[in-house]
Amino acid sequence: MRVLRKCPLPDSRGSVGGWAWAVVLCAVAGVLEGQALSSDKQRQIASFEKVWTTIRDKHWQKNPAGLDWQAIHAEFYPRILNARSDEEALAIMREMLGRLKQTHFGIFPAAVYNDVEGDGGGDGSAGIGTRVLGGQAVVMDLDPGSSAERAGVKRGWIVQSVNGKPLGPVIQKLESDADIHELALERAVHARLTGMIGDTLAIVFLDGSNREVTRNLELGMERGQSARFGNLPPLHVFFESKKFGNTGYVRFNMFLDLVRVMGSFGEAVQQCMQCDGLIVDLRGNPGGIGGMAMGMAGWLVDKPDERLGTMYMRDATLNFVINPRAEVFAGPVAVLVDGSSASTSEIFAEGLKDLGRARVFGTKTAAAALPSVFERLPNGDGFQYATANYISEGGKPLEGVGVTPDVEVKLTREGLLAGHDAVLDAALEWIRKKK
Amino acid sequence: MTRRYLVAALAGITSFAFAQTEPLPKAETILDHYIEVTGGKAAYEKRKNQIETGTIELKAQGLKGTVLRYAADPAEAYSIVEIEGVGKIEDGLDKGVAWDKNPMLGPKIKTGQEKAQYVREAAFNSPIRWRELNSKVETVGTETIDGELTYKVVLTPTEAPAETMYFQKKSGLAVKTVTTVVSAMGEAPVEMFASDYKTLGGILVPTKITEKLAGQEIVITLSDVKTNQPIPPDRFDPPAEIKALLSKAAEKK
Repeated sequence: MRVLRKCPLPDSRGSVGGWAWAVVLCAVAGVLEGQALSSDKQRQIASFEKVWTTIRDKHWQKNPAGLDWQAIHAEFYPRILNARSDEEALAIMREMLGRLKQTHFGIFPAAVYNDVEGDGGGDGSAGIGTRVLGGQAVVMDLDPGSSAERAGVKRGWIVQSVNGKPLGPVIQKLESDADIHELALERAVHARLTGMIGDTLAIVFLDGSNREVTRNLELGMERGQSARFGNLPPLHVFFESKKFGNTGYVRFNMFLDLVRVMGSFGEAVQQCMQCDGLIVDLRGNPGGIGGMAMGMAGWLVDKPDERLGTMYMRDATLNFVINPRAEVFAGPVAVLVDGSSASTSEIFAEGLKDLGRARVFGTKTAAAALPSVFERLPNGDGFQYATANYISEGGKPLEGVGVTPDVEVKLTREGLLAGHDAVLDAALEWIRKKK
Repeated sequence: MTRRYLVAALAGITSFAFAQTEPLPKAETILDHYIEVTGGKAAYEKRKNQIETGTIELKAQGLKGTVLRYAADPAEAYSIVEIEGVGKIEDGLDKGVAWDKNPMLGPKIKTGQEKAQYVREAAFNSPIRWRELNSKVETVGTETIDGELTYKVVLTPTEAPAETMYFQKKSGLAVKTVTTVVSAMGEAPVEMFASDYKTLGGILVPTKITEKLAGQEIVITLSDVKTNQPIPPDRFDPPAEIKALLSKAAEKK
């Protein structure tokens, strides 16, 4: 059978996105439950062995980063045995991972997990999408029909606190941690705006006049349709398509719900063959199934055998080849990104940029393109590791670098309050000039 | 070819008595013996088409689906794999055009080695056509798999990558195949294990095939094989999207 050849691996990179955090944190319980280690020292040793063995068995190179990994064990194991505290053990394990000189290998203290997770969780949403601008959580999106929209919440408002807990200190703490990137920061804020359906959150905002206003928002179903993909929990995926004048615009919150999203994307492009341009808005999109980037690109690239990039795994090299459709949109394409655009979003944006097929607008992406996995270690810390390397068609790794937009445009609170989306406006203006 | 062999593999009753100390049997002997233990040449030649049904599972991902495959003599094929969350994955071979189509990557016409490999796999009754399908066959050694001694036979086709097949000394069955998967997306080693043999469609076939590729494991379980069925003549026609690609390619020429 040739199924896998046609079914590229789901990009588990979404691990850094909202849904993946949920997967990771669900898996954590099982790991902890299975451990019955009696002392801190045993937990430190078990954690060290878990990290070392995982790299040995799952790194995309048999000799990780060209290192003699057995020798690394011989060097670091005695140090773990002599570690006098959890902090020292953590530093030793981080030093060991540092030898790889590769991103996406890290250990996060248990406390960081708790900060990111917050008290939220559950399918309930107030319908508010935020971005952290200048250290504050600013409302960027309001889901149509959500309790937030009905309560008169406006774009540009600042979320001050949720159920009496101020967001500022959390944002400051996470922003000060070099290991926490923007994507995780956004997820931390998002987690505090979710809960069980039917619950109510008392949210204090700063409105457009910087006055404190309180809204009690009942949590409803998240925007979009519930979608299942294998072992992942059900996730809500939305896809929207509209036109600004004669420019097409599509936006979806993750590369999932494959059949519906791919079908909707194809329909949107087909209905826009005569458009002046097409905008693909990937802001806030944490990725998902990597292969979907190739399929979508097939509606935009007419030349055969082009590819978005190459993923290197231990046993295989996967070219992200584009299959051009019979009819392809030939007009200008703009891709919108921000610091929460990760994984498949980055593969799509950078690939089309490298091919000269799209112009990228917004801010630098999450630099989190690799399929990576989060696991909880026996000592409670979080362990992140990558299982593949990805090089874009232009020859650069996206991991740790991200996609640098052709046109850097930052959202401002003032713009949002005035009803403007500066990034979208810049893309529309570019398409208008290309006409 | 590989899959045809695996599906056609039959639990051998005949003892294929090669002593370990004896020289390795010739590949030709092993392959011809394989035909015998899987039902014999005449049984294969009675088969003009077949319809296979079964299930597919990617355990690690928690993905499950169904498999339906039509094949007809000499080289027509159409298969559809439907997996929850992934959709319908189709491929086929009709009048020399090899194609595939799925909701993620879209439609594609296969070319080069990818096409050659697909055509080889789609050859109907391929076990009895090994001479036609390979330019060279050679026994290269032995290996014990699940406690059973097997002969390693390398089959080298003219175009597609070589395959190493493992035939049990005792039963003559093919229990494992190792080859390289070729596509525009890259090349990757693949291992396929055949087990759970049952009589379906007039011959014994392994009803479980476990495929290991790129760190993933796929299990295909065959539930039924029907032969010589009235298959609609347009069953092997490529879908509209493939026809559109063919027209586009013709226009460019």
